[in-house]
Amino acid sequence: MRRWCAAAIVITALALPQGVAAAQDAGMEITLDQSHVTTSVGRVLTLESRILNRGSAPSAPMLAHVNVASVDGGYVDLEDWSAEVTQRVDALQPGQDVTLTWDLQAVNAGSFHVYVVLLPNSGPLVPSASTRVDVGQKRNLNAGGVLPVAIAVPLILGIGAAAIRYRVRRRTA
Amino acid sequence: MTKGPSWRVVAVQESRDLWVSGRGPVLLFAYSVLLSVISYLAGTNQVLNFLEQREAVNLTLQVAVTVGVLVTLLVSADAVSGERERGTLESLLLTPMSRRGILVGKLTAALSLWGAAFLVGIPYLWVLGRGVELVGKALVLGVAVGTVLAVALAAFGLLVSAVSNSNKASLAVSFLVLLALFAPAQLPPMPTSWIGDAITRVNPLGSATTYLSAVLVKGHDWTRDLSYLISPVVALLVAGGLLVAVGPRFVRLIGGVNGS
Repeated sequence: MRRWCAAAIVITALALPQGVAAAQDAGMEITLDQSHVTTSVGRVLTLESRILNRGSAPSAPMLAHVNVASVDGGYVDLEDWSAEVTQRVDALQPGQDVTLTWDLQAVNAGSFHVYVVLLPNSGPLVPSASTRVDVGQKRNLNAGGVLPVAIAVPLILGIGAAAIRYRVRRRTA
Repeated sequence: MTKGPSWRVVAVQESRDLWVSGRGPVLLFAYSVLLSVISYLAGTNQVLNFLEQREAVNLTLQVAVTVGVLVTLLVSADAVSGERERGTLESLLLTPMSRRGILVGKLTAALSLWGAAFLVGIPYLWVLGRGVELVGKALVLGVAVGTVLAVALAAFGLLVSAVSNSNKASLAVSFLVLLALFAPAQLPPMPTSWIGDAITRVNPLGSATTYLSAVLVKGHDWTRDLSYLISPVVALLVAGGLLVAVGPRFVRLIGGVNGS
């Protein structure tokens, strides 16, 4: 069910012209702090969205939802990217703004669009312009470098501990 | 006898007992084996190797801090009740040292284990973190956050040890508290619920590890999530304050326990 909702939001959001026009219709505007991010698989990226009430009346409380869409057409499981995809936005007075922070972990390589959509109780959705995220392949750890340390440290400490025990036993014998 | 303040005399003697004829080297060896397994799996295992390099450093640092704190707590939980059961507390009480000095000296000796544990963790952090310029940050954060936790839990362990009638009870209570601190980490993530955030923030261990992750993995500035360090600092002040203020009253022989 959650995936269908996410898919519906993606379709709706992508069908709209990017961000600002739709936002102004509703009196609300939402912008992301970055337009392009380059990262690699596994890295966590933090985006900030600023939500501004441009209207002349206070806004009702609403939800903000982050979404990730693959440019390459690959499958995106949003829950893998973020455990917190929805945040509550309290009522905003005219001219008032609020900033929401979104932590996303890039779990797939490829190119993506990340955007935030405001979900009012009634009326049209208000999407932000998207942030393009290019995710490169992950850098594997150097396993060959780990092994000597993983062996040497316990070996040295084990020999040291054994030597101390041996010395104490000889002294007390 | 070593000259100096009474706590320093106790600290030197206790450290000698811990490192020359005691469990210090063996505990450190076991700790290094654990760190070796964790770091090797993080570097080679196909499942764990999903971790990005920063996450591998963070995982290793968290294990180093939590297990380092665990062994420090267990050593301090044995400090007074153990002496009482072995019948050596009486001779210690007969010396001209103040009881507060005895507790502070024992706390210092227990913390030497934390210091040694952290030193042992440095090569693992270095080998996993080189290339992403994360080693220095991980070491500074680890020593700062870990020392706050180690002092808080060692002070708590000493208090429990002073109050307990038996060494078994002291170790059991300390271990139980430590398990209770670890348990919330096993709960499913509840990031959007206030209760999940509250559980994390109240737990000194959970909030400290959350802070480490925020800085090392998410790349947050070190000042941004400082509120997560409130509960470790409060735990340090409460446990340390109680140890110094109330603890000395409980450093005494108990009727029916060996040596009294």
